[in-house]
Amino acid sequence: MSGRLKLAASFSIVFLAGSGIACAQQQVVGAPPEALNMKLVGTSDLQARSAYQPTIHHQGDRWIAYIGHHGGSDDIPAPVNPQTGKAEPNGTSIVDVTDPSQPRYLRHLPGQEGKYEAGGAQMVRICDGKALPKGDRNAVYMLRTFGGEAHEIWNVADPANPVLITRIAGLKDTHKNWWECDTGIAFLVSGAPDWRTRRMTQIYDLSDPAHPQKIRDFGLPGQEPGSTGAVPTELHGPISTGPSGNRIYFGYGTNKGGFLQIVDREKLLNGPREPTADNLRIPEISRLAMSAFNGAHTTFPMLGMPIAEFAKDKDGKTRDIVMIVDEAILNECNEPRQMVWFADVTVENRPMMISNYTVPEASGSFCERGGRFGAHSSNESMAQVYYKKMAFISFFNAGVRALDIRDPYHPTEVGYFIPAITAATDKRCVKIDGKDRCKVAIQTNNVETDERGYVYIVDRANTGLHILELTGPARAVAGIQ
Amino acid sequence: MRRWLVIAVGVAALGALSGGAAYEHAVPRPGDWQEIAWPFPRDGWPAGKAFRCGVAACGGGLELYVRPKMGFCNCDRGVADDDEVDRVADLDLLSAHFAPLALGQVVRLADMPGRIRAYDLKMSGGLRHTAIGLAVSRRCDLLVAVAHGSGDTPEMRHAALDFLATSEMTRWMTAAMEGR
Repeated sequence: MSGRLKLAASFSIVFLAGSGIACAQQQVVGAPPEALNMKLVGTSDLQARSAYQPTIHHQGDRWIAYIGHHGGSDDIPAPVNPQTGKAEPNGTSIVDVTDPSQPRYLRHLPGQEGKYEAGGAQMVRICDGKALPKGDRNAVYMLRTFGGEAHEIWNVADPANPVLITRIAGLKDTHKNWWECDTGIAFLVSGAPDWRTRRMTQIYDLSDPAHPQKIRDFGLPGQEPGSTGAVPTELHGPISTGPSGNRIYFGYGTNKGGFLQIVDREKLLNGPREPTADNLRIPEISRLAMSAFNGAHTTFPMLGMPIAEFAKDKDGKTRDIVMIVDEAILNECNEPRQMVWFADVTVENRPMMISNYTVPEASGSFCERGGRFGAHSSNESMAQVYYKKMAFISFFNAGVRALDIRDPYHPTEVGYFIPAITAATDKRCVKIDGKDRCKVAIQTNNVETDERGYVYIVDRANTGLHILELTGPARAVAGIQ
Repeated sequence: MRRWLVIAVGVAALGALSGGAAYEHAVPRPGDWQEIAWPFPRDGWPAGKAFRCGVAACGGGLELYVRPKMGFCNCDRGVADDDEVDRVADLDLLSAHFAPLALGQVVRLADMPGRIRAYDLKMSGGLRHTAIGLAVSRRCDLLVAVAHGSGDTPEMRHAALDFLATSEMTRWMTAAMEGR
């Protein structure tokens, strides 16, 4: 072999080995899921619609999953619903998950026309009529967004045949609402046309869903109509502890310059309603400013957590914790890492970050896999099975991650599940030298749990719903037999 | 009669000269802009490019800052209204206190659509400046620029837009929006 030939052969071996390593990180159709202490129970393809919020509701003797969708894609703006044979803009999927190994797709309720975040019906919350102070006792109410233009309430007592009850329209955006089922108070993430931000809070009394009563608009000073100067970052979503906790935890910022804002619920609902800067300041207890690199997608309160390490301390044995989940936005790590943060808010006017969690990138070469890598959201169920013990974090191409959070000062990963891709999984692209370079990877977008302990994850890249259960040591952490 | 003629010619000549001078101020050449270091502390987005145009070429003097902001969520509507310019155009790097001087206008830069708007800025020490903020978008990404100085608003706007429209700046903006 000549010297040149040897050199060429050496280069070829290096090239092939290199591409082999790169290919090893790519998901391929037909390959098994990657998992640790989590097991697949059942799936639904959700008609290959990009999915956002799943909400699981125990409805009579059935368990129903209501799943909000983003808008369609460039390639398929309105997928065909096999049940009707018609192309329908993405909206809400309603799936019977009573037997989680055999999910039964009941109904697709179309949403607003439009692609990606411009259409669909991303958000969904459910309240029983018998829980709401003035609801129809026989009704089950679904509050959903209708793209960016409206909030809607449907009666889903018969989940296969929803009936529209009311609509709150005329908005420039919507997003991640919160609805207190025991009071009917709803914190609607809206874009009121005259506010200077795309997303703020509209507070409604929806105790009688047929007759919504507006209470007030709320946001950060500088966002209100008529103000000037710098505009604070937009709202992503709130979580309320209701009248008993009297606190609402607002997350602002998505992936940049985020805030956790702690608000006195009573002052918010009953304080002066005119949206002046002074009036907007009255209900605020404190803010925790995050790095300019990170934002707050989910702000999940876990109040009164006993901390084993502090058990013998005379004071501070229990701590009020808020888990803050950032949202990764850019594909293939083209931004600072978006992750999970734990804040100790026991002393409310001095909240402090105490710990954090991220998936180690090298554990799966996730920056090379394609699509987004980073945190997006957590389960929001406060059912006893997991509350204050385990948290489930959707991490886009790293699937869902199960965290032992019993010591929130030291959260520990105890399991994960990265679903396999399918022929329906959509590509995700980045620009290289002005041209799109696309890869296909799972994009676990949102996660929720039910009282039985099942974990529901949904995919932003059209791969559908995966229902999971814990196994091994992760099951023991939650105390599940 | 002859004296009046001399005066009229003199006034006309002065007018032409001052008009020419004004035109010189209104349209600085690309070479009048000097790149300077990005003067702001690190924030959520990487630093961009900063330029200064001196008093001689740009009236009261002018500074211009331009950078991409990748991952702007309003992917479909783009920079839809003036509030969007208020929010994203980096005016807050200069001062938290600014007020629009007028409604914004549609603008196109490096083949990207967006809006441009003029502001009154209250600087530290009570100084007042005028700023020109602009934001254009491509899909989910933004390119923003802000210019400020103490000169005349239309002249500042003209000077900033002319400079941003040069082939060199267009090349840089296009590359920056593609992550190069």
